[in-house]
Parts: sequence; C-alpha cells; structure tokens
Amino acid sequence: MSDNDILLEVENLKIHFPLYGGLLGHKVTGTVKAVDGVSFQVRRGETLGVVGESGCGKSTTGLGVLRMVEPTEGRVILDGTDLTVLDQKALRKYRRKVQMVYQDPFGALDPRMRVMDIIGEPLLIHRLHQDKQAYKERVHGLLERVGLNPNMADRYPHQFSGGQRQRIGIARALAAEPDLIICDEPVSALDVSIQAQVINLLEDLQDEFGLTYLFIAHDLAVVKHICDRIMVMYLGHVVEETSRDELYDNPRHPYTRALLSAIPVPDPDAEASREFDPSLDGEIPSPLNPPTGCTFHTRCQYAHEACRTVKPRLRETGDGGHKVACHLYDPEVSDVRAEDVMTDRLLAVG
Amino acid sequence: MLAEPLAQIPESEVRPDTLLRVNNLRTCFRQDGKTVTAVDGVSFDVRKGETLAIVGESGSGKSVTAMSILRLIPSPPGEITDGEILFDGRDVLAMNDEEIRQLRGGDIAMIFQEPMTSMNPVLTVGRQLSEPMVTHGKGDRKSLKARCVELLRQVRIPDPESRLQAYPHQLSGGMRQRVMIAMGLACDPRLIIADEPTTALDVTVQAQILELLKDLTRRNNASMILITHDLGVVARYAERINVMYAGRVVEQGTAREIFKSPRHPYTLGLMASIPRLDQPKGGRLIPITGQPPDLANLPKGCPFHPRCPYAKDQCRQDRPPLTQVSGDHWKACWVDVTEVQPHV
Repeated sequence: MSDNDILLEVENLKIHFPLYGGLLGHKVTGTVKAVDGVSFQVRRGETLGVVGESGCGKSTTGLGVLRMVEPTEGRVILDGTDLTVLDQKALRKYRRKVQMVYQDPFGALDPRMRVMDIIGEPLLIHRLHQDKQAYKERVHGLLERVGLNPNMADRYPHQFSGGQRQRIGIARALAAEPDLIICDEPVSALDVSIQAQVINLLEDLQDEFGLTYLFIAHDLAVVKHICDRIMVMYLGHVVEETSRDELYDNPRHPYTRALLSAIPVPDPDAEASREFDPSLDGEIPSPLNPPTGCTFHTRCQYAHEACRTVKPRLRETGDGGHKVACHLYDPEVSDVRAEDVMTDRLLAVG
Repeated sequence: MLAEPLAQIPESEVRPDTLLRVNNLRTCFRQDGKTVTAVDGVSFDVRKGETLAIVGESGSGKSVTAMSILRLIPSPPGEITDGEILFDGRDVLAMNDEEIRQLRGGDIAMIFQEPMTSMNPVLTVGRQLSEPMVTHGKGDRKSLKARCVELLRQVRIPDPESRLQAYPHQLSGGMRQRVMIAMGLACDPRLIIADEPTTALDVTVQAQILELLKDLTRRNNASMILITHDLGVVARYAERINVMYAGRVVEQGTAREIFKSPRHPYTLGLMASIPRLDQPKGGRLIPITGQPPDLANLPKGCPFHPRCPYAKDQCRQDRPPLTQVSGDHWKACWVDVTEVQPHV
C-alpha cells in the first residue's frame, strides 16, 4: 500500500476535557480523558467503522478529526496536511473535504431555514457555485440524488419525516464535494424500515463519488453490513482493529467478544442455542477515574495480575494486520494465553 | 369513521390459561379538531407465564396499546372509544378509580422506556421503591425497608442498603432501569408491561436488563408484554409476537412462525431490511419503500398498501380482517404471500 492510498491518518489523538470546580468554578479539579491515544488510518474509498458503547470516545474522535473540539495532543493528517497546526482560515479549506452527517435528523437541521438554503449553505461558504441559476440547479440535483423531490426545496425541515431529514443532511454533506464523510450514528434514530433505505443510499453514494466514510455507530449489525474495517473503542482507547471479516469471524479482545455475544440475533432457533455471557457484568466505568492497567479489567472475566497494572499496547497479532490491545495476546507481558482460557461457546453466530 | 366489524379471536379459541384478553380495542386522540385513531381494533391475549412481544415502528400504536391496558391514556385528548380489556376475567374498562388504582402497580406493573423521566428526581430511591407497597397496603414505610433492600438485591444492585438513600441522578442509566424494574416487581405483579425497557441503554447493559427481566418473570411465573422495535430482542425473549402497523395488529403468531414463515408483507419487509449479525456480508438490504404512515391521513383499505409490493385492487378498497393462517398464527392481509413469493 502506498502512502497515496491513505486519505486520513490520525496519530496518538488525545482529547482531554478539564473539569472545573471550586467555589467560583475556575479551578481545574479533574480531567476527563475522552480520547486517550487513538491512532488509525483510513484508506481512500474504504469505510472504517468505529464502534463502542456510550462514553467510549467514538463521537469525540470524529469531532476531533474536524477540530470541532480541539485535540489536546496528536496529529490529524488529511491528504498529507497536518490539520492540527493550521490556523482557522487555512483549516476552513480542509474542512470542505471532510463533511459530517449527524445522528439526530431533528437537531441537525436549522428549523427556520428552507431546505434550499440548508443544502446550499456549503456552496456559499466554499464559493462552489457560479451564479444563482447554477446554485439552484445544484441543490435540485442533490435533492434528486438523495431520493427527494426537487419540488420540496422550498419546504422547512419540520415538513419532512425522520428518514427524509436524514437524506437532507446527507445532501448537505455532499454539497461540499467532500473526500471524507464522518457519519455519526446516521441511522440509529430512524425507524427500522427506513434504516435500510439510508444505508443503501450511503453505499450508492460511496460507489458513485468514490467517498471515504468514517462510520461511527454502536450497532454491530449495521457496522458489519457497511464497513470494510472496524475499530472497537473502550474508554477512550482502541482495543481492537481489523478487517470486517476477521472481526466477526475471529474476534480477539474479550470486550469485542462480549459485545458480540450481547447482541441478540433475529432468529429464535439460533437464540435458543446461544448462551448469554454473564461475565460482562457491571457498566462502563467513569472516564473521570478510569481503572489502572487495562481499562477493561474491571469487567473482564480473563483479567489477571498483569491486566491490573500494565497498560496494554495496540499491537498486531498473527497475520493480516489484526490489531488487539490485550495481554492475552502479548507473551512479553503475560503468560496467560488466550487460546488456553477462551472458549468459543459464546460466539455461535452463524 | 364507521367501526368496521373485525375478526376477533373467537370465544372457542380462548384458552383457559389466558391472563389478559384485549378485544377490538380502539383508542383515539383528538387533535386540531380531527380524530386520530392510534389503536384501531386490536385484539390479542396474553397467557399465564408467557412473554408476548409487540413489535412495531413509531406510530404503530404499540405504546398506546400498553397505556390503554392500564387506562393511562391522558384524557382529553385521548379516549378509549371501543373494545374490551379483560384481566383475569375482570373488565378493566368498567373498573372504578379505586379498582384501577389497585390494579396499577399491583397485579399489573409497567416499566417505561426512559428511567430518568419516569422517576421523581427529588425523592430518594427508597421512598419511590416503597411507594407502590404503601399504596397497596403492604405495610408502612419503616417495615418495608427490608423488603426494599431485598428488591434491590433481586435486581442485582450492588450495596443496596446505601442505595436506598440515593437520588435518581446519582445512578447510571442501567441502575435507574434496575430500580424501575424493582419498583415494578414490588407487589408481585402477575403481568409486567415493559415499554422499550432497554432502548436508551448500551447493548451490554441491555442484555443484563433483559436477562434479569426474563429470570424474574420466570421465577414468579408472571407474564410479560415486551414492547420493542428490536427484532433480535424479540427472537431471544418472546414466545409469541404481535406485529403492529398503523394502529393495527397485522400479524400474530409464535416467535418461530413469525420469524420462519412470516405471512404479512410488512413482516417480510422488516425481516429483509435489517442488517443481521448472523449473515455474511454481501448483497444489499431490501428496504421497505416509502414513508411510515401518517395516522391523521391513512389511505383507504389496508394501511400498508402504498408501501406493499404485492398490493392488489382489493387492498386499496377494503381493510383486511385478522384471519387465521394456522393454529396460533393470524394475519391481516388479502394476499397469500406464499403464492406471490415462491421462496417463502
């Protein structure tokens, strides 16, 4: 793979939020490490999935890429340019190349703007249109492309259903002719029958425009459908990263395995033969005061001494670039081997 | 609109182990001078010890059905205009205020979707937990403390004694939902209505909560109505399923029948449109075309016909009644999908 193939490279991204307290609220009393040393690469034309439960830092990672929240540390390299060192004016030029589709189709559109102006705004900001006629035609074309009638351009967002509003959000992202679209839970607020429409639309647009997606979601079934590679996050860290097939056929990190076993499959016969993993008890710890060593050790059934003290590194195990941050796969740190302690009974998913 | 005669489950089909029977329930809301029928002629029964799932999307009437069972529909604007709700042979719609209060939180408990808004933020967990027991005369606040601790232990909340003093905001979402379940269980209900109990929670917490509900209902031999839009959850936890669309039950059957041989085009559409963990990637999803129905403006005939690939003239004219496919399996559709779709 040549460097040219890599559209986005994130190196050791850290986003820490100071917590203010004290009498006047000026004293920093703690730090929430929302994203704590995340590195990944996204190749041109691929879809990288970022999954994890609430509070794992997946959305903050997405915002950090666009510098909508300022990274505390680390580099975000888009197409060879480090975005973290740019001033606001220079940054704007690169922001055109990265657009965002949000989760909540109700909150993401200004209720007082007509659809024409919502979709057209990126054209104005980045001066992408020649004249009024071209502007209008472009917006109509975008509406048509996302499956909406161009006659609807003069309506307001409240006149549309959730699925239609998400289409408007996608059209707005497309307007800027981006290379990369960050999709933050784009279908989780939609009805089941509408989700498939939007997923198919995203796939079609990717084929047509050669788009690259950073797809943030908690639904592992949706991610399995749309992503080429997937990284799993837990408490601000990447715990596993690999190709889609590897992740679902051969999940390695105990957290990934627990997540997969926790998701019920829509097949009563398969469910009857599957066992629920009781080991994943408790909830995600507070990021204000994360556990020492491996942050997952408090909920991990395989946790042993090394896990409580030594922080695991994300390292390649075996072949095919399957990266995992777990001592069970790191003979240098721990004698306990994954193949000795793990059983496969939890993963009877076709 | 004239009430059309609908097929009800005939008397001969009612089984002796029926706990709750809903017959031709119709719940309307008045809105801007118009009447919106949110639940339109819904009939089903819940048997002792079973979990019945009600599946549907927003606006399908699944939550309004649940609220109607406990007569929790705000009136005005809402009103139950027709039908019959029999709990253990007693007519819920004919009960006076005192009787219905005894039923709520007593024999029938409800667990709501949003644990934050369903709890009182200024009262401690212990106070709220003991409230149903005080209301139902199971002792005074003092003697109930031990019972509250026991309940919190049952729903696996660590350190239950100290949690009694906590306020809802001090608990995580999963913990709050556990407290909600404990409140529901306080008076040993015979029927638990869980309205999207895990929708706001993470998947690992969802699994814990649902396993807990399954365990507790099994142990107390209680029945459960589980309202959800998640077909995976349904497959894991429900014995029977009602599929609802636009305020009506469009298909009803055992979980196996609904998943293995669905007979309503909407059910078929749902199954084809969800990405699944247990299927290899490849191929496109087959979405249900069009938009969800607007209850204030429903089409004539079958409400699904504008989105249905098999719709014929009859579907555009007449509303299909719920008819028996076999045994427990019922559908409301004029089309025989086994004829138009050979692979079913």
